[in-house]
Amino acid sequence: MRWRYIMNITGILVFFLGFLMFFPLLVGLYYQEKVITVLLISMSITILSGLCIFIFSKSPPSDYISQREGMAIVAIGWMAVGLFGALPFYLSGDFPHFVDALFESVSGFTTTGSSILPDIESLSKTLLFWRSFIQWLGGMGIIVLSVAILPFLGVGGMQLYKAEVPTPVPDKLKPHIRDTAMTLWKVYGVFTVVEIVLLMMGGMNLFDSVCHAFTTMPTGGFSTKNASIAHYNSLYFDSVLMVFMVFAGINFSLHYQMLKGKPLAFWKDSECRFFLFALCALITIVSINIYGNVYQTVGESIRFGSFQIISIITTTGFATADYEQWPAMSQIIILLCMIVGASAGSTGGGVKMLRIMLYLKYCYKSLFSTIHPRSVKHIKIGGNAISEDVIQSVLGFLGLYMGIFIVCSILLSGLGLDFMTSIGAVASAIGNIGPGFGLVGPVDNYSHLPYLGKWLLIWCMLIGRLEIFTVIIFLVPEFWRK
Amino acid sequence: MKILIVGAGEVGFRIASHLAHENKDVVVIDNDPEAVRRVAERIDVQVITGSGSNPILLEEAGIKQADILLAVTNHDETNLVACLMASILAPTIKKLARVRDAGFDKFHGSFRDFPPNIDTIISPEIEVVKTIEQLMSVPGAVDINEFANGRVKFVGIHLEEETGLTDIPLSELSKVNTSKPLIAAIVRNEKLIIPRGNDQLKKGDLVYFISEKDNLSKTLAFFNKQEEPIKRALIVGGGRIGRRLASSLEKKSIHTKIIEKDAAQCKLLADSLDKAVVLHGDGSDQAFLNEVNAGNMDILITLTGDEETNILTSLLAKRMGVKKIITKINKFSYFPLMSAIGLQQLISPRLSAINSILRHIRRGKVISAVSIIGDQAEVMEAVALETSDIVGKPLDRLSIPKGVLITGIIRNDQVTIPRGDSVIEPGDQIIIFAMRRAIPKIEKILSVKLEYF
Repeated sequence: MRWRYIMNITGILVFFLGFLMFFPLLVGLYYQEKVITVLLISMSITILSGLCIFIFSKSPPSDYISQREGMAIVAIGWMAVGLFGALPFYLSGDFPHFVDALFESVSGFTTTGSSILPDIESLSKTLLFWRSFIQWLGGMGIIVLSVAILPFLGVGGMQLYKAEVPTPVPDKLKPHIRDTAMTLWKVYGVFTVVEIVLLMMGGMNLFDSVCHAFTTMPTGGFSTKNASIAHYNSLYFDSVLMVFMVFAGINFSLHYQMLKGKPLAFWKDSECRFFLFALCALITIVSINIYGNVYQTVGESIRFGSFQIISIITTTGFATADYEQWPAMSQIIILLCMIVGASAGSTGGGVKMLRIMLYLKYCYKSLFSTIHPRSVKHIKIGGNAISEDVIQSVLGFLGLYMGIFIVCSILLSGLGLDFMTSIGAVASAIGNIGPGFGLVGPVDNYSHLPYLGKWLLIWCMLIGRLEIFTVIIFLVPEFWRK
Repeated sequence: MKILIVGAGEVGFRIASHLAHENKDVVVIDNDPEAVRRVAERIDVQVITGSGSNPILLEEAGIKQADILLAVTNHDETNLVACLMASILAPTIKKLARVRDAGFDKFHGSFRDFPPNIDTIISPEIEVVKTIEQLMSVPGAVDINEFANGRVKFVGIHLEEETGLTDIPLSELSKVNTSKPLIAAIVRNEKLIIPRGNDQLKKGDLVYFISEKDNLSKTLAFFNKQEEPIKRALIVGGGRIGRRLASSLEKKSIHTKIIEKDAAQCKLLADSLDKAVVLHGDGSDQAFLNEVNAGNMDILITLTGDEETNILTSLLAKRMGVKKIITKINKFSYFPLMSAIGLQQLISPRLSAINSILRHIRRGKVISAVSIIGDQAEVMEAVALETSDIVGKPLDRLSIPKGVLITGIIRNDQVTIPRGDSVIEPGDQIIIFAMRRAIPKIEKILSVKLEYF
């Protein structure tokens, strides 16, 4: 472990983040808001700190980053970015305590979308933009962005990429990791621009369109309105957002293939098929469940049912209805959606469809070999046998995910929160969703949580975004041994 | 430039790493998941697990967009089929294949003219025999590369003892002796140094210099290396390389003995060799070596299939007083250890294969290229094009990238070692020494600008 080298790269990341603060500065200048001084200060602090870390940890450049170092760089990098990203919020004075600003920042970068703001609309345009912008950065991944843009990472980029985007079966679109990262960001950018245009065509103003597109594609869920998307109460916006949330929940390498003229890629990919099937099935069940007792027409049931399900399962967290008023069955399905999450290789969080699929197939295989004890059977995805290691890591992941979920829920309830709030808040934080249940439901916010609870959720969000191993590995003594 | 490499063994791995460092798009295919994983973790390339001769996988790997296919698995048949499939899928692709079996020797030309139309066949055994003969021809040399059809040699030698040359600045060396060659690089403690005027030579350095063929013996004398004619050679190990080498040596009227452990193989050797003496026995047995009078040999070459036997036999022979020993080693990780135990002349079929592959995939007007010092640097021979930036200006006014040295200019069959005021003219052949990180820049300078439009 070359800690100097790790800090060196972290320094570069922080430095880079400082420059990204230039964009909200432009917004502030356009709207002539006073908050730009705050932003200038944050920007200088971030750039200078980055520079200091970089200079004081100056270490020889290296071609090779070990897996351990890669994980450390990504985990520490994310913590640093979350910390410095909170500066504009904290210094503006709109957030009562530093933890609140940090919560908002981490919730942004991890694309969770939980807010501690009771009144979002009172926030300055500059900070609203910064909230959306950090979600957009965090969605495809700040490390992936650095790998794409900054040339220094070179070969070691692969380890960083794997630590930030830990899909069970890694997928490299292009021979060079830099080109792969660049391609992903380009696809991401194209979708975002199309969404901005479509939202504007429906009559949303440029600022709100940009902010909402910036939080849809990363499956983030920050809105510029207190009532989230319900504010607009428009079938057109609901539909546009639903379509783009589904896109964001699909593996981006499939989008890349589609843009290259292979639209059938979606259908050929078994995970994507599974995702779309699951989506349809869940929407049908929930719509039937809420028809008659919450909504009186079929149309409304489908509209609100599908929006909430898509928003939760892709881990976006936009809301057009308060699902806590829905029957218990729908609520349980929504809790399930929070845990399941979107596809691997998408910007969504949660356990991921691919892991669920592998787990289900593993269960079936176990049953099958009970019936045919001497049978030899492989677990296959899309016709390819999946190696035993991958299955093992999926089982390990699921175990850890549930373990962390349970432990954190117990800790949170120990701070005095009720049953549904504790479970809902933790499920929502680890899955990077946003709204939970109970006191943190879709129409509430997180401001009233105790400070310790906020700290706990900050960690849950980071653990969830980096898919557990990258962060949890720090707690394993073996990691620290030389 | 996109390159497909079939085979992630030692050769495939090395070449992939070499090319990925130069920002080329590389895809590696191999059917061993472990080998593929090693590549994916260490090198910035795309990997595919599966058989490289499978056309579906080749298509998936993007063979249609690729410029070069390298088939370098251990199986000749896989390599040949991969090339055949490639010529069906992408007829214009350039193909290089590693073919080892001596049975194919006579058909290398046919592979080019008939399907699978392989542009270059690389036979590590032939390459390695060539390397051994070169090493035998230059006393004291550890590494020899030829340019300009052999007229210019790029030679690496070890400074084994302190002489009048060590510990004085290079700029003063010419005062000591006027025939000072152009020293391109020094390897000290496994680190490559491009020397400047105030750098000094030290005992134990590996010195790379460039010399015209006719001046070579003079240059070697400068380094206290005297020419010693080789009359008696002992080869330990009668495998593919041993047999090739023995038959080549006996043609040169060098008295050759060859030791082989396996009795059946000895019979085969005796069949194909005329003058060489075939001995059945264990080369690592000291008594046996004494018996065959190994101590009086001019050269001993260990070529068995077992690395450890080669190393130990070489050490044994060194103790018995053999002056020149060449050791075959396949594992690259052993290379740095060898100079520590006193074995300096090493050959590796894999390294030879890598070098000859590199020679064929350089772009621009590069005629040949070899990698030296474990991939840290490369020497290239290229034609200076009219459109290139390096033409028409004195060298000291060119913006040559750091880590690059122009070590020779060949004009009208005249080889000159350039100075600061030399000017490269269009059509000149130049010999360039370049550190690895400078190679992409050099390639850019050398290639025709029109290519980019």
